[in-house]
Amino acid sequence: MRTSSRTKATTQALAAIFWKGVKHYIRYPGNFLIYLFIPFLFTLLIFGMGQFVGGGNATANFAARTGTSNIIVYEILGSAVWMTSWVVVEDVGVALRDEQMKGTLEQNFLAPVNRFTLLVGISLTDVVITTGIFFIVVGVTLAIALPSSFLNLIPAFLTLLVGLIPMFGIGFLFAGFVIRFKEPYVFTQIVNLLFATLTGTYYPVTFLPYWAQFLSGILPQTYVIDDMRQIILANQTLVNLYGSVFVLLALALAYPTLGYAIFKRIEKRAGVTGEFSKY
Amino acid sequence: MLGDLISTPLWFFFFALGVTLFAPTTSVDSHEGGFSFFLLGFVFIILFSTSVWGMGQTVRNEQMAGTLEQFFLAPASRVTLIVGRWARIFITDAVIIGYTTFLLYLVGGGIITLLDPGLFLLGFGLYEVGLIGFGLFFAGLTMRIKSYTTISNLVFFGYMILTGALFPITVIPTPFRYVCMAIPFTYFIAILRHAALASPTILPLTVEFVTAIILSISMLIVGFVSFNKIEEGARMQGSIATS
Repeated sequence: MRTSSRTKATTQALAAIFWKGVKHYIRYPGNFLIYLFIPFLFTLLIFGMGQFVGGGNATANFAARTGTSNIIVYEILGSAVWMTSWVVVEDVGVALRDEQMKGTLEQNFLAPVNRFTLLVGISLTDVVITTGIFFIVVGVTLAIALPSSFLNLIPAFLTLLVGLIPMFGIGFLFAGFVIRFKEPYVFTQIVNLLFATLTGTYYPVTFLPYWAQFLSGILPQTYVIDDMRQIILANQTLVNLYGSVFVLLALALAYPTLGYAIFKRIEKRAGVTGEFSKY
Repeated sequence: MLGDLISTPLWFFFFALGVTLFAPTTSVDSHEGGFSFFLLGFVFIILFSTSVWGMGQTVRNEQMAGTLEQFFLAPASRVTLIVGRWARIFITDAVIIGYTTFLLYLVGGGIITLLDPGLFLLGFGLYEVGLIGFGLFFAGLTMRIKSYTTISNLVFFGYMILTGALFPITVIPTPFRYVCMAIPFTYFIAILRHAALASPTILPLTVEFVTAIILSISMLIVGFVSFNKIEEGARMQGSIATS
């Protein structure tokens, strides 16, 4: 009885936090529109710069290095995953800082809701947002540029879903850092850019030096981007990609655990030093 | 500023790596010209950000913090206040540009060539005057449009793609190229690149220069007039400080 009422209370709390996040996006649809446009705009930029550099042989040069001449799909897949990672870092990582700046963080923390529930509730909103971004951005691109691979959207999306779990763990980590260091936008800008550079957003990670490839190997986005490209451009199945799927599952265990543990540690310290109320 | 000092070179590397996929697979020594082209492109982007994010965002930030009315009640003209913010951002961005150029030189990227420094400075002056006008217009927009971030992001990307900042407009298919030619910044960038790298201008040089002068002064006047008109309208509606 106590267990079922506690479960019901947790579910209600999750639902409330989730709907609050969704309402924010409905009330300010411009944010969501930007998340949809940015992948296309960055892809256009890289494509234009590439055409200038490569001239008439741009596509051939690209194909020689990546194994595919479908530049737009290759780049959009990286763009879409980068955008989902951006959304998670901004939303989950900065959400508590936003509450802090509005002066409502302490009230949130005083609510009879577990911190983990609070963070998971914020993450649930992002599952919906990132799903929308993925299906609209990648779906539209495939419908135009590679319709034969349209059905591969589903296994590609499953890869993204698994990859989202470790990304939320990274978000928990940033939520803690941001409460402590108070400079969310500088922090998230640098982190988003590092993720884009290290995870092969617009190029294979093999382009990077070995020490950078090591860092790429511990980021979930690297596997998500590569697997999506394998599924959509090379018609691989999730079964064939079992190695990277297992790595993603391992990261899905490690990052949320580590991220939440660090968040709790910083939160405990913040409670002692009074960081919560500091603007 | 620390974030910009770290992120600006990272952006350059990020784009450079992405573009390398398209470069010839056999080694061709076009390293220095390409480097100057792209680094100049980044300089143009940083400078453009002073108008959109420096001037326009300034007003938006004051609005969100609830201090815009106090800001406008200061004993200085509105335009002076906003252009003053531009000056601060410009100096900061000049430091970032200098630092990024030096850092890229250290990692073996080469240096920017400036074949005609005099023409470059003149073109730069015209560009900055146009930017101030554009920034004033954008600052006025923040008092009318609340989804400022969305619009400024779209404008920023539009600038990067359509004005020849990161690649020549000759890469863009012909029908869309007319859109590029309708944007004043395209001419400023073409003059600056011509002065630095002797790249071709869009119009004959003299015609392009006269066009740039007219556009620069017009943008300043339009920015000034539109800012004052929008502000007057916002004061009458009571929407200056509404976020």
